[in-house]
Amino acid sequence: MLPEQTSRSAEKDEARMPMRFGEDPLLWASWLYYEEGLTQGTIAEQMGVSRPTVNAYLAEARARGIVTVEIVPEKFSSLSIARALRDRFGLQDCLIIPTEGVDRPLIPRLGEAAARVLTRTMRSGDTLAVTWGRTVLSLADQIGPLNLKDLRVVQATGGTTARIPWTPEACASGLAKAIGANAIPISAPAIVSSPEIRAMLMQEAVLAEQLTILGEANKIVMGISSLRPESTIHTSGFLEGAMQQMHYQGAVGSLVGRFISPRGEPVIGPMHDRTIGLSLEQLRQIPQRIAIAGGIDKVPAILAALRGGYISVLVTDLATGRGVLAAEGHQESPRRTLVQSDTPLLRRTEVKKLINDPKDAVDEALQGALAAHEDLIEPVPGSPRAVRATMGPSQGKVAIVIGGGAGHEPAFWGYVGPGLADAAVIGNVFASPPPDPIIAATRAVEGGAGVLYIYGNFTGDVMNFDMAAETLEAEGIEIRSIITTDDIASAPIEMQSRRRGVAGNVFTFKIAGAAAARRLPLDACEALARHANARTYTMGLALEPCSLPETRRPSFELGPNDMEIGVGVHGEPGVERRGLDKADACADLLLDRILAELPCTAGDEVAIMVNSLGSTPNYELYIVLRRVRQRMKARGLKVHRSLVGGYYTSLDMVGLSLSVLHLDPELKVLLDYPCRSPALTISA
Amino acid sequence: MDTITSCHITEIFRLIALRLSEARVELGALDGAIGDADHGNSMAEGFAAVVRATSATSNASPAELFMLAARSFHSAVGATTGPLYASAMMAAGVDLEGKAALDATDVVRLVPSFARGIAQRGKAQAGDKTMMDAWGPAARAAVEALNMCLPAQQCMARAEAAAREGCESTRAMVASVGRAARLGPRSLGHVDPGAASAAIIIAALQEWLARQDDARAEGAG
Repeated sequence: MLPEQTSRSAEKDEARMPMRFGEDPLLWASWLYYEEGLTQGTIAEQMGVSRPTVNAYLAEARARGIVTVEIVPEKFSSLSIARALRDRFGLQDCLIIPTEGVDRPLIPRLGEAAARVLTRTMRSGDTLAVTWGRTVLSLADQIGPLNLKDLRVVQATGGTTARIPWTPEACASGLAKAIGANAIPISAPAIVSSPEIRAMLMQEAVLAEQLTILGEANKIVMGISSLRPESTIHTSGFLEGAMQQMHYQGAVGSLVGRFISPRGEPVIGPMHDRTIGLSLEQLRQIPQRIAIAGGIDKVPAILAALRGGYISVLVTDLATGRGVLAAEGHQESPRRTLVQSDTPLLRRTEVKKLINDPKDAVDEALQGALAAHEDLIEPVPGSPRAVRATMGPSQGKVAIVIGGGAGHEPAFWGYVGPGLADAAVIGNVFASPPPDPIIAATRAVEGGAGVLYIYGNFTGDVMNFDMAAETLEAEGIEIRSIITTDDIASAPIEMQSRRRGVAGNVFTFKIAGAAAARRLPLDACEALARHANARTYTMGLALEPCSLPETRRPSFELGPNDMEIGVGVHGEPGVERRGLDKADACADLLLDRILAELPCTAGDEVAIMVNSLGSTPNYELYIVLRRVRQRMKARGLKVHRSLVGGYYTSLDMVGLSLSVLHLDPELKVLLDYPCRSPALTISA
Repeated sequence: MDTITSCHITEIFRLIALRLSEARVELGALDGAIGDADHGNSMAEGFAAVVRATSATSNASPAELFMLAARSFHSAVGATTGPLYASAMMAAGVDLEGKAALDATDVVRLVPSFARGIAQRGKAQAGDKTMMDAWGPAARAAVEALNMCLPAQQCMARAEAAAREGCESTRAMVASVGRAARLGPRSLGHVDPGAASAAIIIAALQEWLARQDDARAEGAG
């Protein structure tokens, strides 16, 4: 009896829910269905319920968010962007491909996508007009025979003699051959030398017949040209320097060899009556107008073409499609989620500040700094925004003048003193000083051995310091400018000269200051400062934006669970937004980017700076420093000096930057050279 | 239209300063999206300094007044807008050299003068998403209208419309010079604050001209 009882109770147990599902039949059903892959019938047996009940459980599980089904984000974005473009611009269809290709560049992938679209849309008896360009040629290269009858492919414009592989002739004949169509060329140049010649040519029977066929086109496949300087249209022979002509300055794009304004209206210029090919009006009459174009630089042109109604089917990539919608003011709708995303913890209102009249803030702060450090710094007479070292000019020593906007305290006055800069010039908040105080500061400290300007790479600083230098050089003062570029987030390594200068400036000030204090000549000081800048790498991140004294508003919006990577020091947004992470992960993120560029080998020495952007307290900086030192050790790098604190801030921004100076024996000596200033003192 | 003398020019600066001051917050917000949010204040403060300097002088010719305006704007603002608008006003000063008084078309010609000065200093191309995308179209529209011998009011209205449209078109552009250039595609969808303030200045010029016409009509009535 006993065994029988046991087996019966075991059977019963199987129909009872295992404890781990916590009495939740929805969870149990979901587990069996989605994780164990059982059929609904088997699940019904196991759960001891009917199959329709299992079905209802599964539906309920989705409705309650126990099970979520999602399309992978990239595909989801493509679909939602495609749908938004279609709705917004009344397109028949829109195909969005990924921007980042796994294997191939964008153009061949766009060509392939267009080939798929064309394969699906072509019908026997179609007359397909085709323009020219790299993408169109790529389409022709990738499309296969269509097994359709009576196809014609006709050139949409006349030809060109430009030495490019993607001429109108090549595109049309290539495509015709590939799909098995009859090719109809346009036997004339796209642009002829005068309206009269065009009129005469149009009389020619051959050309007239070809243009009649072009007028019969019921489909067109076309590229869209940007008119940006980097566009290949400039080398195509189509423009003949037209962009220099005033008539075309209002144009943002070109299609079928014609020009359109940002609103999509035709821009009529002197070439209009000399162009042989489809007109924009004719283009709009073609029932199916397939445009293939991608790349961020083409956004204005694509948007203009969409606004003008020249496109009925668009093939582009995700970033470009998203850009077009953003430019049109479209807000990407967030993914539908069952759980409402967190609401911001605090509603942002005016940020509290300890200031008097915001207009006076910069001057009052500077007055306070001068009072606090009166043993080291003093104002340049008659120029309150210029600060010089109390030791005064030193004959025969290279003078170092630094400067930039206010809001970076203790920069820049904090680095004025023996062994560092001789003078600093402060502008308005986050704005370069104008030339006058720069000139006054230079005159106040120049000691006959030349002057080195050191400042971050920002358009305004470069303009104003250059204008000051021009004035002073006319007086016979020799000036060299070091424009610092340590912020690795601001431009890729191959565009290093476009990078901005941020906290790593402090290292460059220090090296140049030591070189000048050692009485090295101007050439040597300049070379060492450049050397230091080239070996300094900085990257920052912000947890909260800063706010300007005048506006008292955050300078950009950052969600409660976001952080901004690659921020600058002016409250400008960074290069990327990410979910908030822990200190070690943040340290790793910054350090990994820096180490990826730092050409170091084990045993090399570095100096590091963990810098607060304003509101991040020291104890957090030390947590980050600790992690950086751990990683440096693991990499076999020797940290010769660590600076931790608010060395180069961005008002009240919450966040930090990490700077690494890759030392060599010469830089090491200069870094250790004694200096004394309000913000940096190194003793012998 | 009566002739426009130096004290009228100060009035024009005052109107520009007022309109920019009213737009401070709005310009700051535009700038915050892609820059450092200081543009509204810089422009307002800069033109306030111009008004202070120009209203304190007497007996200056129009050309001298624009030169003074250039210097005072630059000293007050620095930054990038400082050199750019200083160059704009200097270009206007050069173009007005030797004139004791202006007429209404000279006010229209300020637009191409400013545009030339800014273009020479900033070297931005059309489509770079800068103030030139408003100044360029406005200057072309002004010159075109002047060449058609339209009344000054209409010329200015066309320039203003072109500036507004040019400013709007920056939404579709990716910044390639200046601070916003570092944002790359993230600058898409945002109007360039420099183009927005340019449109405000040009609108103020138009507003001032329109007032003169109204005043004259009243006087005649």
